[in-house]
Parts: sequence; structure tokens; C-alpha cells
Amino acid sequence: MEELDLLKKAWQKDTQSFQQVTENEIYKMLHKNSSSSVKWILIISILELALWTLMNVIFNADEYIKQMHAEEMMIYLKVLNYINWAVILWFIYRFYTNYIKISTTNSTKQLMHDILKTRKTVQNYVWYNLGMVVVSSVLGFVMAFLYSPDLGLIKDQIAQDEGNGTIIKIVCMLSLVMIVFLVIFWLFYKLLYGFLLRRLSNNYKELKKIDL
Amino acid sequence: MSETLEQSFVKQLKENQNIVHKICRLYTADSDAHNDLFQEITIQLWKAFPKFRGESKFSTWAYRVALNTAITLYRKSTRSVNTVTYEAQQHFFVQDEYNHEEEERLKLMYQAVQQLNDIEKALVYMYLEDKDYTEIAETLGISEVNARVKMNRIKGKLIKILNP
Repeated sequence: MEELDLLKKAWQKDTQSFQQVTENEIYKMLHKNSSSSVKWILIISILELALWTLMNVIFNADEYIKQMHAEEMMIYLKVLNYINWAVILWFIYRFYTNYIKISTTNSTKQLMHDILKTRKTVQNYVWYNLGMVVVSSVLGFVMAFLYSPDLGLIKDQIAQDEGNGTIIKIVCMLSLVMIVFLVIFWLFYKLLYGFLLRRLSNNYKELKKIDL
Repeated sequence: MSETLEQSFVKQLKENQNIVHKICRLYTADSDAHNDLFQEITIQLWKAFPKFRGESKFSTWAYRVALNTAITLYRKSTRSVNTVTYEAQQHFFVQDEYNHEEEERLKLMYQAVQQLNDIEKALVYMYLEDKDYTEIAETLGISEVNARVKMNRIKGKLIKILNP
């Protein structure tokens, strides 16, 4: 293509058209903050990891279980708790190793792959925690139903029911609350990471398309 | 007297800054965005510099980091997306040895290149810098054959843009 080669000639000769940056200006730039998408992913990821780990510390169910006199359930919850912590530590380790791998000297495709993988780990961590929220809510409800004296009134009502009207209503309501909760989270994530990564994911798709 | 790492980096970047400028010009539409990207590339280069062992030339290493920054890490401010202003290239084509007609053709060609997407621009950049397909493929992480095929497609696309 003739035009492109014309441009190539002009391009290679061109050394004068840029305002040159001085050494001093470069020194100043070195101490400025990066605004790269990876930096933002790192910050947000650490906040997410911290937030969910904190939630696990704060919402300790032990007291609640004692109140309900459901001590026989304790052992199961303890096991669940240990498994939970092992999974959390594994996620944090994975996130760290993924992040370390990100390097601008890799090929463009590899770099994008590494960035998207790091993000995916954190995303999976968040989904895991949401899953745990759902599981423990269901467990909590069942336990409350079996042990808590506060729910006596509802139990009476269910016992009086001809069909299963009341229990169906309760289950529907709880499911609805959880679905709304999950959808809000999902939207939040779409927006947050969509904003940060739209360009990168588009370019990654484009690059993968070339190699098909 | 031995140079510190920082001194050596700043010196080499200053000497090779046109590499970064050229990438900035290709990926940004105005001088604010140009300076923004230049700064981000400088930071990324500095971050990666300890890993640069001088096996390749500074320029070869630097353009790769700069391209990666432009394509993957840099977040364009929304105002400059898809609005190509041509102020940045005003000086570019004012070179004595070109006649007026050639200058016009160059301008149109450059405008056509500006309309390509990020990945296509990277290929064109390396083509203009006279990199061979082995290096182009390696830099992007695709196969050499596919790099060639893609470059031919880009040429076709440019012809279409120039002759609508």
C-alpha cells in the first residue's frame, strides 16, 4: 500500500515534531501516582478482601447460638468455620500470586490475561462470600425455627394452617429478599469493573479474535 | 562516579522519548491526553526498569512497555474517546521536502490510521517502526501468520477508509 509506505517514510524521519521533555520533568513524573487500571483493581480488590474478611470476624454466630440453647449444633458450625477460613486464605494467596505475575514486559495478550485473571479471583471470592451469606441465612433460619423461642408465634400459626400457606409465604419472602440482594450486588460489580475494564476486555477480545 | 538507577533511567528515557511520544500521538487525540499518557508510560517504564537487564536495546524494551500501557492500562478520559482532533499532528507533516500534494495524502492517511482500534494501531505502529513480523507477533502474543494476515486486513481497511 503506497500511502502507508509514504507514511512510514515520514514517520521514521520525524524527530522534530514533539515538544521534548527535560530530565527534570521526567524526575517529577517518577514520583507521581499511577492511574492505571491495574492499580485501581488492586485497591478495590484489597478493599473487597478486607471487607469480607472483616464481616467474617464480626458476624460470629456463637453468642446467638448460646442464646438459642442450640449447643449441639456448635461442632458443625465450628467445622464450617475452619473450612471457610481455609478457603479465604487460599483466595488471598491466589490473588497475591496472580497480582505478582502482572508485568508490562509480557506480551500484550499475556498481560491482559493476567490482569483479567486477577480480577476473576477477587470476583470469585466475592461470589463465594455471597454464597456463604445465602447458606448461613438458610441455616440460621432453620435453626431459629427449630430452637428459638421468639418464633413460637409463627410456629403456632403454621400448626393451625390447613394447607401449607404460611410456610410457603415465608419461604417465598426470604427467597425474594435474597434474589434482590444478589441482583443488586451483581449490578454493582458490572458497573464497577465495567467502568474500569471495558477498554481492556474489548482489546483482549479483539486480540483473541486475530488468533482464532 | 557511578550512576544511580534513577539517573540512568532518566537519561535513557530522555534520549528515547520520541518512541513514547509517537505512541501517545497514535493513542490520544489532544495534548492533555498526550501528556497524561506520557506520564503513565513513564511510571510504568520506571516500575519495570529493574527487570530491564540490557539484553535488548532500551528502545526495544521501552516501546513494548509503552504499547502495553497504552492498550491495557491507560484509561482514556471520556472526553477524548473517538473524537479525533488534529492539532497534535499539525507540525508532523510540515517537512520541507514534501510537496503540497504529498502532504495532503499523508494527512488523510494519518487520519485514517487514527480511526483504527487500539490493537490495529499497535500493529500499524510496529509496521511504521519497521519491526519484522516475528517481533510484532511476539510483542502482541499472537502467531506470526496471524499477525501477517491481520496486517493485510488493516491495509484493506485503510484503503476503504481512504476511498469510501
